Amino acid sequence: MIYTSETIEQLIEEFAQLPSIGRKTAQRLAMHLLKMPREEVVKFAKAMVDVKDKVRYCSVCFNITESDPCSICSSQKRNRKTICVVEEPNDVIAVEKTHEFNGLYHVLGGALSPLDGIGPEDLKVKELLSRLNDDIDEIILALNPNVEGETTTLYLAKLLKPLSIKTTRIARGLPIGSDLEFADEATLTRALEGRVAL
Amino acid sequence: MKILNARLHNFRNHSETSFDFAARMNVLLGENGQGKTNALEALSFFCLTKSFYASADATVLMRDREFFEIDGMLESDNGKEFSLRVAYDNAQKSKKFTINNADAEKFSSVIGMFPVVVLSPENNKVTFGAPNDRRKFIDLVISQSSRAYMEDILEYRRVVRQRNTILTEAQGKECGALLTPWNEMLILRGARVIQKRNQFIREFTPYIADTYLRIVGEKETPKIEYAPSVPIEAETTVEEIQSRLAQKLARKYNDELRFRTSLAGPHRDEVLLSLNGMQLKHFASQGQHKTYLVALKVAEFFYLKERCNETPVFLLDDVFSELDENRSQKLLSLVESLGQTFITATGEKMFGGVHWNKQRRKFFIKDGAVVNEAMAA
Ligand SMILES: Nc1ncnc2c1ncn2[C@@H]1O[C@H](COP(=O)(O)OP(=O)(O)O)[C@@H](O)[C@H]1O
Ligand SMILES: [Mg+2]
Ligand SMILES: [Zn+2]
Repeated sequence: MIYTSETIEQLIEEFAQLPSIGRKTAQRLAMHLLKMPREEVVKFAKAMVDVKDKVRYCSVCFNITESDPCSICSSQKRNRKTICVVEEPNDVIAVEKTHEFNGLYHVLGGALSPLDGIGPEDLKVKELLSRLNDDIDEIILALNPNVEGETTTLYLAKLLKPLSIKTTRIARGLPIGSDLEFADEATLTRALEGRVAL
Repeated sequence: MKILNARLHNFRNHSETSFDFAARMNVLLGENGQGKTNALEALSFFCLTKSFYASADATVLMRDREFFEIDGMLESDNGKEFSLRVAYDNAQKSKKFTINNADAEKFSSVIGMFPVVVLSPENNKVTFGAPNDRRKFIDLVISQSSRAYMEDILEYRRVVRQRNTILTEAQGKECGALLTPWNEMLILRGARVIQKRNQFIREFTPYIADTYLRIVGEKETPKIEYAPSVPIEAETTVEEIQSRLAQKLARKYNDELRFRTSLAGPHRDEVLLSLNGMQLKHFASQGQHKTYLVALKVAEFFYLKERCNETPVFLLDDVFSELDENRSQKLLSLVESLGQTFITATGEKMFGGVHWNKQRRKFFIKDGAVVNEAMAA
C-alpha cells in the first residue's frame, strides 16, 4: 500500500526498522498513532528521547542505569564476593526475579558470534578481568544455553583459569536454544542451584 | 501412527484443502502441477515441523499470503489421539507448533513423536549424489530417532558457520586466537556427532541387509559403511574422538587459512554404499540404484519404528513413474503391508486391483484443491 502522505510513509519505515515488526504491523502502529490524542503522542515521544538521554551503562557492571554506578553495584546489602556474568541487561532482570542470587553482575553486552560480527574485543571482557581482585571468590557464568553462549563460556573459563578463582556455570537445565530471558523462574532457579564447577 | 485428517491453509498452492484419510492407503491423483507433492510436503511439515524439500519456512507459504497453517488429528499406535497444528506468520517470521492445544516449548521436542519416511525423486541423490546428500539422509534418520543428536547436529552446523565466518574474514591471515573457542566447541559437538553416526551405521547395517533380502532375494549383498573425517573404531570413546579431532584441526590450520573454510570435522564425513563389495556410486545400474534407495527407505521405516516405538507414515512421491510395472507392484504391496501410506501418481493404472473403501481411499487433486473424479478429468 502506498500512502498519500510522505510523513506517514516515513513513520512506517521507522517502525519497520524495529525488531520483530513487519511492514503490516508497522502500518497498523502508524495508523494507531495518527488516531491518538496529541498529548499522548508527545508523552510517548518524550519517553523515547528520555531513554536515550537519561539511561546509560553502569561503568562497573555495564548494566543499564540512571545513576552510575548502578543500584546493585553501589548496594551494601549485596554479596560483593560473587559476580554473575550475563550477556544482556535483560538477563540481569531474569536472574533477579529468582531471588536466589544476591551477588554482583557483569553484563558482557552479547556473546561471541562472528556471524553477527561479534568477537572478544566487542564484549566487556577486559572490564570483567579488571574487576577481579582478592575480594572476589566466585564467578558464575550464566550465559544463554545456545552455541554462542556455550562458546563464550568456554572462552571465559579459559581466561579465568590462571586466576584460580572458583568459576562455575549454570547447569544446562534450560531448554536448549532458548534465551535466559525467556526462561521461567523455576527453571532458572534450578539451573542456578545446579551450577557446576569449570 | 496414522494421520486421521488434515487441513491445509495457504500452504503452497493449497489455499484451503481438507482431507479425511483412510487407515492404510491414500492415493493422491491428478495431472502434473496440481498440488499432489505439495500435499505430501504439508503432511511431513506437520509431523516434522519443517519441510523435507525447502529449507526456509517462507518458501512453502502461498505466494502473496502472510500466514499458513496446517492442522489435523493423528492417532498413535496405542490408540491415543493428538491434535496437531503448525502455523507460520511471515511478518513476525514466527512459527508455532501446538499439540493438543498446548504450545510445544521447542521444535526439537516434537521430532521423533510422529516419525515420517519420505521416498521421492529428490532422494535419488542419496545413492547418486555427493557425500553431503548421504550425510543429510543419515542425519534426518538419526534426528528422528534421537533428540539429543538433532540438537547436536544443529549446533554443530552453527559452529561450522561461525568458524567459516572467521576464516573468510581473516582473508588468509593468522586468526588462531579468534578460532580457539570455536575449535573447542567444534571438538565437543563434532565428537558427539561422529560417535552417534558411528553407532547408527552399525545399528542400521542389519536393517538394510534385511530389507534388501525382502525386495530382491539373496543374490546381492548391500553394505553401508561409515568413513568419518577422523579414524575411529567401534570402541573409540568420545574423549578419544575429541583428541583426534583436535589433532586434525591443528594439522589443517594452514590449509583452512588458505581455503578460508573449515576442513576438519563431521561435515566432511562420507557414508559409503556398496553392493557385492562394489561402490554403488561407480558401478551400479540404474535399476540397482532404485532398488537400493527403496531398500534404504524401507530400512529407515523399520529402524524408526523400533527406535521411536511408533509406526512411521510412509510418503511416496511420484515413485511409480520411475519404476517398471513389476517393481512397482512389488513396492506397492510391500509398503501396503507396513502401515499407513500416502502415494502420489498421475494415473490410476498401478492401482487397478485396489478396492477403494475405508482402508483405501483416492483423492483427485486439481489446482490446489480436492475435487471429485469427474472434475479432475
Ligand atoms: N509458495 C507457493 N505459492 C503458490 N503456489 C505454489 C507455491 N509453491 C509451489 N506452488 C505451485 O504448486 C504447483 C506445483 O505443485 P506440485 O504439488 O509440485 O504438483 P504435482 O501435483 O505435480 O505434485 C505449481 O503450480 C506451483 O506454481
Ligand atoms: Mg509432484
Ligand atoms: Zn553496576
